[in-house]
This record gives sequence, C-alpha cells and structure tokens, in this order.
Amino acid sequence: MIDGLDPVIHVPKRLGAMAVLANAPTVTFRFLKDHLGISDSDLSRQMSTLESAGYVSATKLGHGRGGGTTYRITPEGRTAYDTHCAALRALIDASR
Amino acid sequence: MESIGLAGELAAAERGAAAPYVTYPPTPWWYAVSVGAWVAALVGTFTWWRESVGLFVGSLAALIALELLFLVWMRRRHGALPMPGTGTPPPEIARVWRAYFAALPLVALAVWLVWWLVGVPAAAGTSFVLVTVGLTVYERRYAAAAAATRARLR
Repeated sequence: MIDGLDPVIHVPKRLGAMAVLANAPTVTFRFLKDHLGISDSDLSRQMSTLESAGYVSATKLGHGRGGGTTYRITPEGRTAYDTHCAALRALIDASR
Repeated sequence: MESIGLAGELAAAERGAAAPYVTYPPTPWWYAVSVGAWVAALVGTFTWWRESVGLFVGSLAALIALELLFLVWMRRRHGALPMPGTGTPPPEIARVWRAYFAALPLVALAVWLVWWLVGVPAAAGTSFVLVTVGLTVYERRYAAAAAATRARLR
C-alpha cells in the first residue's frame, strides 16, 4: 500500500461512506445506501469493516435490517479519512 | 480490491463529502412560516419578563423543547443533516451559509430597534416578517447552490 493511503478506506464504497460521515454529525443507514447505490447486505458488510477498524460507531434505534441504524465518524476515523484524502491529492499532484 | 483510479477515487470522495449538503428532501411549505412564528413567539415571551417569571421561563422552556423536537425530526427526515462546524461544505453552499450568518445580526439589530422604539408586540411581528422572508430567500439560494454543486460534481 502506498504511503498515507489507508487500505480500509481505499475501497471506493468505504471511501464514499467515510466522505459522507465526515460531513454530518450522524448519518442514517438509508442515506448511505441511497448515496452509494448498493444493497443492504453490501452496506452492512462495508460498515462492519469500518466499525472493526474503529473508524465509525453505530447506534441501533429500531428493529429491522439496517433501517434504524445511524452511524457517526470517530476521531480516529476522521484522522484516517483526512490523511487518506491528503495522500490521494499528493499522489495526483505528483503524477501531473 | 476495487479500483477506479486515484482521480476517480478523489472525485467519489468529493461527491460523498457534498452529499449531506446537496441531497435532501423537499423543504415543507410551512417551514419558513413556522420558524418565523417560533422566533416571534420567542420574542413575545419577553412580554411576561417582568410580570411573571414563571410564565416567562415556562414559555421559554416550551419553545426550546419544541425546537429540539423539530431538530430531531429534521435530522431523521434528512438522514445526514449537516451542521456548521462539522465537515467542509462545498464552496457554493459555504457562500450561502456565510450570507445567512452575516444576516443574522442585522435581523437581531432590526428586531431590537423595533423593541426599543415601539415595544415587544411590534418586535415579535417584525421578527416574524423578517425571519419568514429571510428564510424563504435563503431556501431559494440554497437550492440554487445545491443544484450548482450537483452539476459541478456530476
């Protein structure tokens, strides 16, 4: 993995989710699903990976698959996301 | 690992970062009027300031509780309601937000002047008109800025 690029966030779906989470205090499962255009099970899998890495925390408010879940970015997640984006920009600039 | 190239990845991150600001349900028709009425009621509670502390504090608490309930509803309805200080809004939205926050002290000053010169009921009426009209203008400008952002990031 290239320096500064986070292997957990490098996957486009997870990067997209982290980008949304970095710009709102809380984000619902449905919003992420609609934005990323992926299935419930795929989003659950991607969010579990981010949770396991300590980058997001989840709060379950109701019953049903994903319907009542909201996510919040953690301070570690914000740092990792900012570092990843900075590395991406540096790599793109360097290749120009 | 999936790959869309570095530039594509950065573009996806920009679209994701903008999503909370530009993806939102239609604003209800009653939104600006309701907020205008809420601010007018807030100003109106000061009628009881010196006459009945209990009534004044009770009304203030009820209005604050109403505002908190409204915020919870808005948050659930939106799904990713952005808040100033959290994240970085797209430049188009940031411009609209700057104008909004610049206008707030002007509205407060106008309401205070009417309060001082005429009285609380007139100040409440003034705040209703200024907030309702101001929010209607803000909503229109925000919608235009959101459309411009979506077009830029497409």
